[in-house]
Amino acid sequence: MEEIALALFLCLILALLSKRYSLPPIPFYIIAGIAIGKSGLSLVPADDYSRYLSSLGLIFLLFYVGLEMRPRSLRESGRTLLLSGVIDLSVNLLTGFLGAILLGFAPLESFILASAFYISSSAMSIASLVENRRLILPEAETIVWMMVFEDVLLILLISLFSARVGNPVTFIALTVAVLAVTIGIVRLARHPIKALLSRTDDLPSLFTFTAVISSSYLAKLLRIPDALVAIILGSSLAATSGAALDRLSQPFREVFLVLFFVFFGITVDFSGGFSPLVASVLCILALVSKMLSGILVGRGLHGSVPAGIGIGANTLGRGEFSIALAAVFGSAAISATVAVLVVATSLVGSFTARYSEGLKAWVGRERRGSLPGPDALPE
Amino acid sequence: MGVRCIELPGIGTKYELETEEGDRVAIIFMGSRRFQLYILEKGKSSPSAAELTAAEARRVGSLLSGAIIEAEKEAVEIAFSTLSDLRIRVHTYAIGKSLAKRSIAELQVRTKTGATVVAVSRAGKNIINPLPSFTFEDGDIVVAIGDTDQLEEFEHQILGN
Repeated sequence: MEEIALALFLCLILALLSKRYSLPPIPFYIIAGIAIGKSGLSLVPADDYSRYLSSLGLIFLLFYVGLEMRPRSLRESGRTLLLSGVIDLSVNLLTGFLGAILLGFAPLESFILASAFYISSSAMSIASLVENRRLILPEAETIVWMMVFEDVLLILLISLFSARVGNPVTFIALTVAVLAVTIGIVRLARHPIKALLSRTDDLPSLFTFTAVISSSYLAKLLRIPDALVAIILGSSLAATSGAALDRLSQPFREVFLVLFFVFFGITVDFSGGFSPLVASVLCILALVSKMLSGILVGRGLHGSVPAGIGIGANTLGRGEFSIALAAVFGSAAISATVAVLVVATSLVGSFTARYSEGLKAWVGRERRGSLPGPDALPE
Repeated sequence: MGVRCIELPGIGTKYELETEEGDRVAIIFMGSRRFQLYILEKGKSSPSAAELTAAEARRVGSLLSGAIIEAEKEAVEIAFSTLSDLRIRVHTYAIGKSLAKRSIAELQVRTKTGATVVAVSRAGKNIINPLPSFTFEDGDIVVAIGDTDQLEEFEHQILGN
């Protein structure tokens, strides 16, 4: 019990510092976890109790991802969503996979690593767009749609990795059944749920918490990942009072996610086949490939390389989803590598996002300087 | 001059419009009562932005929609953008000794000027929609409503300014 208090108190101080200097807090939670955990001072062991609490962070995060899946907005943004998403996916997943294979990981490990390598942090990208005041720029919308596409891919990747364990047919049948039953129940009980959520007493938050916790229990019972069930629950419940559920689950999500990050750091084990050299190469590769995919998206959708630099600079940071994939499916070596990847890319990414306008202007000047643009020609 | 509206998952709602001059203005409603107001000048690549609280956003909105508060004149003009060109002025005046003990009916405020007295503040108490039989006292503050001409008539004929 005192371990959790210590970890949370440390995170509170780090959160204050990261806000003070406008840095993303996730890398600091992980560093703090590493420092007090297995690979550091061994002050805080991870027991069943802390493992359960931190798993709630992941479940609430994925419940939120499901809640934000609005089929209507997916359809409306069709072309941007698909084009930017496919470029982002193919460049980064391929680079990550080939990189991991060449660095000596087994094919399946490489695929899990490549997924963590591919998926940017939605939380960081969106926070940096708001904080750095970039929302009027055309590429800001593209970034938002890219993040939505990545969320959809996350669901597919989680399903794919889960299907591998045990019998895929049983898994798919069970998942489809859970999906159908959840949607059916929510549809039938739509009005009572709405009425319940609009009450002003303590029932709405109790309902939200109970629904999410029960979904995780149901998942354990059926032996399908609770992550998947949380997403299914979120996307079904979005049809009732999505905004209210978002507001109600926010405090749970925020607190349990911090625990999830810090305990991920605590359990990171650098002695199980982790190589600092391999991790550093992957970090550099991750930064280069995300910037490259950003530039390709910028050229393809906005006809502008500087816009692409803006897209790359705002999406370099890997975060919560990479850790989620590593924590659920990765081996010790993968988890340790992803921990380093997240810390490095999110810190570099927060700086590139802050100075992306300067970066764009500089690239614009360089390009005009090297090749005679239309404005350099005589009239 | 169409306003483009788009829902941005995880952020909020973005309203965007391009002016005739080619400048772009965007307003972003982020949940939890936060607003961002952007201006991107034509030909520039870096926008300017301000983050507003709900109260500040309302203030900016009322300034832009024409309800300009001219504090020194103690008048408010309200413009309804949906009703073409409907502009209503609300003005406050202090009642002097010359009008004391005289009623609204006796002064024939509406018949003579077209303006209407809609409220009176007397010694810290407010009377909303006073009856025609209401009698003024020295030191009353009245709120009159009408268009610019009607309020000018009110100043000349009733107050005698």
